[in-house]
Amino acid sequence: MNATVEQSSPDAVRFEHVGLVLGENRILDDVCARIPLGKCTAIVGPNGAGKTTLTLAVLGQVKCTGRIVFPSLEGAARRPRFGFVPQRLVFDRDIPMTVMDYLLSGLQRMPLFLGHSKRHEARILQYLEEVECVRLADHAFGALSGGEIQRVLLAQALLQEPDILILDEPTSGVDFKGGQICCELLRRVREKRGFTQIMISHDLATVTAHADHVICLNHKVFGEGEPRRALTHHVLSETFGLHLGLPDLHGIPQDVRECPEDCPLRAEHLHLHDHCHVDAPVVHGCSCGHDHGHNHAHDHHEEAGHAE
Amino acid sequence: MLNDLILRIADLTAYLFPFECMEPEFMRRAMLGLLLIAPLAALSGVQVVNSRMSFFSDAIGHSAFAGVAVGLIFSLPVDFTMPALALVIGLLIMYLRRGSRLSTDTVIGIIFSAVVAFGLWIVNRNREASRGVNMFLYGDVLTIGDNEIALLFVLLAAFLVFQFFGWNRMLHIAVNEQIAGVHRIPVALYQYLFAGLLSLVVILCVRAVGVLLVTAILIVPAATARNLARNSRQLFFLSLVFSYISCAGGLLISAQQWMNAPSGAAIVLLASLMFAVSFVAARFRTK
Repeated sequence: MNATVEQSSPDAVRFEHVGLVLGENRILDDVCARIPLGKCTAIVGPNGAGKTTLTLAVLGQVKCTGRIVFPSLEGAARRPRFGFVPQRLVFDRDIPMTVMDYLLSGLQRMPLFLGHSKRHEARILQYLEEVECVRLADHAFGALSGGEIQRVLLAQALLQEPDILILDEPTSGVDFKGGQICCELLRRVREKRGFTQIMISHDLATVTAHADHVICLNHKVFGEGEPRRALTHHVLSETFGLHLGLPDLHGIPQDVRECPEDCPLRAEHLHLHDHCHVDAPVVHGCSCGHDHGHNHAHDHHEEAGHAE
Repeated sequence: MLNDLILRIADLTAYLFPFECMEPEFMRRAMLGLLLIAPLAALSGVQVVNSRMSFFSDAIGHSAFAGVAVGLIFSLPVDFTMPALALVIGLLIMYLRRGSRLSTDTVIGIIFSAVVAFGLWIVNRNREASRGVNMFLYGDVLTIGDNEIALLFVLLAAFLVFQFFGWNRMLHIAVNEQIAGVHRIPVALYQYLFAGLLSLVVILCVRAVGVLLVTAILIVPAATARNLARNSRQLFFLSLVFSYISCAGGLLISAQQWMNAPSGAAIVLLASLMFAVSFVAARFRTK
């Protein structure tokens, strides 16, 4: 499936020489890239690389030079509908409102103080079911945990029936297992509803396991394509500008490749890293003493990033 | 005609509150004014607290000085220049707040002090006006005029229309502007409309309770309601209830011989007392 993504699938978004200068800083520099329709595209890069800015440009929230086109909607004469899940929701947790109140506030015309619309309420419950938190409907929104808020926001984004769903670091607020579950959930919903997913990520392990397409961004595009092919050592060191202390980030793609093309569990292998034991030398090469588990590449990258 | 109509409506308040102190006409008129102010203050207060705009409303209140000054300079009636200037300053602050990377507090702080300094300078040159400044510092609902009551009626109508269409959207925007914008809510439109209406509400409340206490009558009932409400609907109704109790109750208490308090102070004291009780009640409930 992934091998054919590159050539055949149409584009949902195309960046054509997109640029943005804020003050002295060139945030985006001649960005040319594509986002395939109906797939999961990850944008990776170090902090301050312009990843969030690029997604805001897609959303039309910042003005850029160059062009951002939506080829799949060319005939439709409308802007795509977006769903958006921000990185970490900072809000006044003391505002009295239930999860249902918040979700309704974006949909229903009748003011909430006159009551809830049964039609919208039913629709919201259906979407909450989809993100597996229907039990939270009557809870206070401000009392939810980070992961729960993330799910409610995902339900809210899906309620927009988006053509394009944008998630800023969906796995940053949750632990590794939570991140895995979150990505699995997104894949299921995406396959059911058929939207295009764009996610910003720091976590190369997650990207390799879950994305169909990856864009390596550090103001410029240093590489794009199917993760296993695009995330070469060269591209990663160019993107992240790191050479010291960086383990062989190519480890994951390589051992997945050891799984033969016709292996019936290939998809699972891609998602679950069943072959991680092959990575043992990579972990051995590190002396930081942490339990790296499955997300070794991520941990190393994070640590290297701090040392920068 | 307008005069007569307002007088009749004001008389109705005497049936609502059949107390001895409601005998004089000025008390009925003041009560009518406060019953119009209560919902304006309560509902805008909810959104002021949700959007953390209490400093904003404080700055608008202080623009009353500049409003008086502009009236003096151009020999225009203060009843017109005060709301007009408040509106201009409110929209200007919102514009700067949305557009610049400066901290909102800094923007408001600068405008706030510039406006007060300008007002003090002009008013100081004019003996007549400097006597009037006291009126704006402490307010006096007992001398509220027909024009102001008529203006309150119009403003309340406009404000209720705004709340009908904007209550949900303002809540959504208060949680996160960016999400609201992406999800096709016209954030800028709602923010400017709210800033404009809030400016007018604040400046009319200044007339009743004074610059010093104006922010309090907006945010204290809303904060009390936040302590007790569990959802958006309860927040709406509880803030109205607390605002009505403090406005009407405050006026009645202030008219008692033993109290001998200005009405603005009595209103805010009553509201604060309710806040304290609700705060304790909320603490007990969570335990």
